[in-house]
Parts: sequence; structure tokens; C-alpha cells
Amino acid sequence: MTEILRVEGLQKRFGGIVVSDNIHLTIGAGEILGLIGPNGAGKTSLFNLISGVLRPDAGSIFLNGQKIDGAPLYKRARMGIARTWQNMLLFRTMTVLDNMLVGPRDYAGESVTRLAFGRAGVRAAEAAMRARAMGILGRMGLESTASSMVVDLPFGQQKLIGLARTLMNDGPLLLLDEPMAGVEGAAYETMQRVVRQEAASGRAVCVVEHNVSFIRDLCSRAVFMANGKILQDGTVEDLIASATLTELYFGV
Amino acid sequence: MDYLITLAILIAIYVILGASYNLVIGYGGLSTVAHPIFFAIGAYTTGLLSVNVPELPAVVNVLLGMVTAVVASVLLAGSALRVSGDYLLIASLGFQLGLLQLIKNLDFTGGPGGLSAIPSTILGAARGPAFLAITGAAAVACVFIIRAIVNGPYGRAISAMRDEELAFTALGRNAMSMKIAIFAIGCGMAGGAGGIYAYYFQYISPDQFEVLASATILTMVVLGGMGTPFGPVVGAILLLAIPQAITFLQLPPAIMAPTQGIIFTVLVLVFLYLRPAGILGNKARAI
Repeated sequence: MTEILRVEGLQKRFGGIVVSDNIHLTIGAGEILGLIGPNGAGKTSLFNLISGVLRPDAGSIFLNGQKIDGAPLYKRARMGIARTWQNMLLFRTMTVLDNMLVGPRDYAGESVTRLAFGRAGVRAAEAAMRARAMGILGRMGLESTASSMVVDLPFGQQKLIGLARTLMNDGPLLLLDEPMAGVEGAAYETMQRVVRQEAASGRAVCVVEHNVSFIRDLCSRAVFMANGKILQDGTVEDLIASATLTELYFGV
Repeated sequence: MDYLITLAILIAIYVILGASYNLVIGYGGLSTVAHPIFFAIGAYTTGLLSVNVPELPAVVNVLLGMVTAVVASVLLAGSALRVSGDYLLIASLGFQLGLLQLIKNLDFTGGPGGLSAIPSTILGAARGPAFLAITGAAAVACVFIIRAIVNGPYGRAISAMRDEELAFTALGRNAMSMKIAIFAIGCGMAGGAGGIYAYYFQYISPDQFEVLASATILTMVVLGGMGTPFGPVVGAILLLAIPQAITFLQLPPAIMAPTQGIIFTVLVLVFLYLRPAGILGNKARAI
């Protein structure tokens, strides 16, 4: 399996609180890694460190073998780190399609100079992006929502739009932060199917999720975190079977 | 007639100021009160060049005024935004007040007395109409350039940035450089307006560029419709034409001034009550 992401000795503290304590982790192409643990374990912080929202105090991050420590958030996205957000962070005043069109990593249309001197090129790029966005919406059965304002959609669909927008970034690494929180029914099935398809296409996927059955269905491997540490890295069955972890997670 | 032409030129200049302020504050969401000082930078650069380097053509002087305003705006936004978005408001206030003090106290700018004897450039009876045509064309160009910016893919990126900057950045967009670009375009337009202003009135002084002028421009933007391409046009016309229209009632001066104030205030209140998003703004979407 080709290694996509490697994290080495990642360290981050906020005052007295250690959110990442010597984290070592690798994710390979086509793999779906589950990241579980109690609230405050440092799962989202780890996503923030990998995607570049936070700077680590120590340690290194490699994407496709290339060290990306110095790159800011927007450059890491262009390198191909795509992520979703727990609370989606959709562009509230915009339609579904417009949300999607901000998604591509490097989009030629968004330039003042091109607006002035290359309008034909902008139109062509725009048409190609629209086709790609409609394709992704189509896979989720959401074509009909394209011209709706995102705030008018039900929560489950907003959650899917958050994923769809992120998928406009076709990079090698996909970080999903609690994709299932508040999602049920048809959206649940769709989410699971799309995440599987993305992994099958060769992307490395990492999912933070409290819904253990979702993790069990989707992931062959999972990591258990608590207090900023990785306590166990193995199969989902092993993690669930472990008495210590169950006690930490569920408090029973 | 001359009086009406001057009023029309003033309206066109305020359309440029309002439209560019709208781009920065309404579309870009960048809080700044320094718009009058960029207007001043354009006016003083153009005025000083026309007085001291008479061989330069007027068009070049106005363009250099714009360029100076752009450079100053990039320096201000580049340093202030690096700290945080909110910091721009404070930095812009400091920049506005500080630079105006500097203009008031330097010799070569004419100090508090202002800079006079700016050459007329266009002579004869056609001067007024010619300036009106130039200023009007510049105003129309500004409004339509801004409309093209905000309606295209770039405009979509601007509103995404304003909605959720973190998500926008995490999709591979450099929010900082986009903010600086928007700020520079808006301030450059204000600088260009300043250049034309200096040539037409042939006299500029620091009190024409006080910080309170940004409140006037902001009122035009809000009244006309913040975040709409043509809102500032409507706002500038209303706010400049209504007080003048009242003078045609030929009331005695003692009554005139307070009447103007009362009518103006009542109009602003009525419009803001009935159309909180501005006259051209979306009725449903309050600011």
C-alpha cells in the first residue's frame, strides 16, 4: 500500500493542556482509517495540525513523502489535503452549486486579471467546474438542490453538501470530521457509499466519528485517542474488544 | 448652469467613492474608515505633480495618484491584516488621522491652508462639460468594473470568504491576498477620484478629507444598498441632490439650514426603516 500521509512525533499544547502528545501515524492510499476517542481526546486538533489550521510545537507531517511543515493552510489544501468540518462551515449566503464551485484546489476563474483579459478562458473553466460539481452532486442524489440556498436545506443534506464541496478538491488525502453527527436515514447510506467510493478510487481517508457502527462498517483499521495520545492502533474489533478503551470511552 | 455642472461632477466623484467603499466594506467585509485619506492621497499626488512637474500630462498625474493610493493601501492592509481582520479598523483610523496631520503640517503640501493654483488643464467654456464627461465616464467605468468583479467567479470567492473565512482558506484560497487585492482596487479608485477632484476644483485642503467624510460615504452606501452594484449610485445622487433641491424653495437662510438638516435626517430614517438593506438592497435580507 502506498503511503499517503505520515505524521512523526507531533506535539502540541495549549498552556497546560496537551492536545497532541508524540503522535505517530500513517495512512495509505485506499485506506479508511477511523479515529475514535472521547470528547477532548485531540481528534479534531490532530486534523487541524495535519491540515494546517494549527502549527505543531514539534514533529513533522509528510504528504506523499514530501515534508509539508512550513506550508500554510491554503497551500496544504492545494497540495491535496481536503477536509470537512464538524459544523460544516458552509457558505450561508450562497447556493449549493456556488458552494461547490469554491471547492476546486486551484481554480483559474478566480482572478481579477483573467476577468479583464481572459474571459473566454474563464467561461470554459467555469463550465468544466460546473460539470464536475453536478457530477458529484449526482452521485449523492442532490442535483435538484443545486440552485437552492444551502441554509434552506435539511440538516442531513447540508452535511452531504459539506462533503460534496470538499470532494471538489481531488487531492490524495481526505479528512472527515464527524460526518455522521446528526445524520440518519438516506443521507447515512449515501455518506457511507460515497466515502467507500473515494477510498476505492485510491484516496487515503481518515474519519473522526463517534458512531461506532459507522466506523465498524467502513474501516478496517482504527486508532483510539485519549488526552492527546494514541492509546491503540489496530483493527476495529480489537479496539472495541479492549476493556480499558471501552471504560475510557463509555465510562462503564 | 455652472452650478448644476459642478453638482453633477461632485455626484460623479461621490459615486466613485461610494462604489469603491462598497466594494471594500460591503462586498469584501473589510472595516476601514480611511477612504477619505486615499481620496486625499490621489488628490495631493496629482495636485503636487501638476504644480511642481508641469511638463507631465494630466492623465499621467491622475494615474500616478491612483498608483500612490494603491501602494499606500497595500502597505496598510498588508501590515494590519497580518495581525487580525479587526485590526484593520484601528489601523485605518490611525492611518487616516496620522497622514492628515502630516499633510496639515508639511510645507510642500501647503499645510492647513491647502494646495492652490493647480493648473486648469482644460480652458474655455467647454471646461465644465468636459470635466463632467470625464468624471461621469470614470464613475460609470468604476461601477461596471466593480459589477464585473462581484458577479464573476472572483465575486463568488469574495462572498465565500466573507461567509466562512476558515472553510474558504481550507479549500485552497489565500484569503489574505484576496483582501489586500480588494482593498487596493477600492483605494486605487478613491485615489483616481481624488486626482480628478484636484484638477476640477484647482484647490485642495486637508479639511476636505477629514475622517467624518467616511461617514458621509458610508451613509450613501447604506442608503442606496450595501453589497449591491448600483446602490452607491442611488445613494450618492440622493444625498447630494436632495439638500441642493431644497435650496430651490427659496426659504430665508435662517430657516433653510435647519430645514435641510431635518428633511435629510427624516429621509435617512424613513429609508432605513422601510428598506433596512438599502433602496436597491434585497428587501428580505437585512444587513
